Amino acid sequence: MTAGAPASTATLAVRGVTMRFGGVVAVDDVAFTARGGEVLGVMGPNGAGKTTLFNVISGVQRPTAGSVELDGTVLTGMSVDRVAGHGVTRTFQTPVMFWGLTVRESVAVALAARETGRVYPPPPVHGLVPSGLGLPGRRARDEALREQADALLAAAGIAHMGDRVTESLAFGEERLLEMTRALAMGPRVLLLDEPLSGLNPDEIADVIRAVRAARADGIAVLLVEHAVGELLGVADRVVVLDHGRTIAQGDPKAIAADPVVIDAYLGDELE
Amino acid sequence: MLLSSIWQYVLAGVVVGAIYALVAAGFVLIYQVTGIINFAQGEFTMIGAMTAASLAAAGMPLPLAALLAVLAAAVVGALCYLLAIRPAAKATGVTLIFITLGLDVAIRGAGLFVWGTNPLSLNAFSSGTAITIFGGVLPPQAPWVLATDLVVFAGLYLFFRHTYAGTAVRAAVANPPIASTFGIPLRAFAFWSFVVAAAIGGLGGVVIAPIQSPTFDMGLNLGLAGFVAAVLGGLDSLPGALLGGFVLGIVENVAGGLLSTGWEEGIGFLILVIVLVLRPQGLLGRAARRA
Repeated sequence: MTAGAPASTATLAVRGVTMRFGGVVAVDDVAFTARGGEVLGVMGPNGAGKTTLFNVISGVQRPTAGSVELDGTVLTGMSVDRVAGHGVTRTFQTPVMFWGLTVRESVAVALAARETGRVYPPPPVHGLVPSGLGLPGRRARDEALREQADALLAAAGIAHMGDRVTESLAFGEERLLEMTRALAMGPRVLLLDEPLSGLNPDEIADVIRAVRAARADGIAVLLVEHAVGELLGVADRVVVLDHGRTIAQGDPKAIAADPVVIDAYLGDELE
Repeated sequence: MLLSSIWQYVLAGVVVGAIYALVAAGFVLIYQVTGIINFAQGEFTMIGAMTAASLAAAGMPLPLAALLAVLAAAVVGALCYLLAIRPAAKATGVTLIFITLGLDVAIRGAGLFVWGTNPLSLNAFSSGTAITIFGGVLPPQAPWVLATDLVVFAGLYLFFRHTYAGTAVRAAVANPPIASTFGIPLRAFAFWSFVVAAAIGGLGGVVIAPIQSPTFDMGLNLGLAGFVAAVLGGLDSLPGALLGGFVLGIVENVAGGLLSTGWEEGIGFLILVIVLVLRPQGLLGRAARRA
């Protein structure tokens, strides 16, 4: 991690990433950068390689060729948790919950991960002493975590869900919690994989608001989304993939007017 | 009279069950965090009992001997993970289970090498006469055994429910790949699950040593009983391990007392089969959830 660099300077550089599965090229020599404080939309029809690209950036899959760098640090080849430790956080097409934890605990786990330098177990004396014993430092820290978690839940409009166990959440609630949990990590790069799918209009507005807030906080937001209207509305720049290749890059207005894009993607949608 | 002898069997079963519960807690901890059924779990109890008994026999004060015995078990647990489990991290579940069976045999063999075949002995922690409850008799060591269960299970409960490290472990148990994207290092938790499970097993060995003359091969039966107790309670539930331990201990002793001691283990497995047919997730386990 670059010492002393403020979050707003975070620059994610994807350099010539190629991902082959046998004879199939899922991602083909894709290159772009995403800067802190901007929303980079990633568009493309199904099978264009968007999710594979996210898997490569977050360290789940190692690319066949190319690399991913964050502020000059090469993330490629690192384990998933180390990539996360460098500030890359993601959400999934299908929200993934920690069953058995409450909504507040889910957020607190992410908060604690940030607070302890994203290393567990945290310093033994802090992390292992139960708050029930009433040690002053421990109790203050637990309360601070709880308050921060509640503040994040309130900002996402889901403060009332704090005590519910995650098993009981509806789909849209799971999405909002997943987003809140990702923000609790204090990410420098936030990868959102179709965060709007399956949501009602109110929930879509909530998520869009959260995306804008993340941008305002200096986070580099990468947004994969099939809802083209919403994506073009919120993105500062857009990368369009088709069959694993970058077919266009630019600001949303130019992308919407690009005949190559319309042909490959938007046309399908409009027909 | 039949009732009074049954009551006596129940009391004896409670004491044994308390030890089964500690061994079962080790099974549950390791299974929850790593997905491995660690069949070497009973050997940690053997290490604890044999170390405490031999150190005390050499003149070491009991508290120090007990502490070193628990530490010895914890170190053995750590070595099991570092030398045998971690290098095979990519192996399938069945392979890992066979590795633990190998560890079980290896540790028992080491026990034979170090301590020989003769049983050792350890004095009860507090002198005093047997405790009488409604005409039934508990050995003087029984309060120590039960207090150990109370402290261990209360400690585990506080850790998992009231510390954020415990919450993080629960998150890791709920979804390992996703937890790792939250910076939660699964391998560190796997290591600590072996250390803590071994320490708990070792502590169980220390407190049972005055009741059951420890031998190098005591871990085999204790391990099997702990496994049955853990499955009985539900492999994913610590309260289930506690309940399963006591149920198994009591049923074994009552059945053994009324029929013959040869029936004890058979009855344990019979109960296991019945419970798993009627309630496959165990007494307190969660039913399988959507993936």
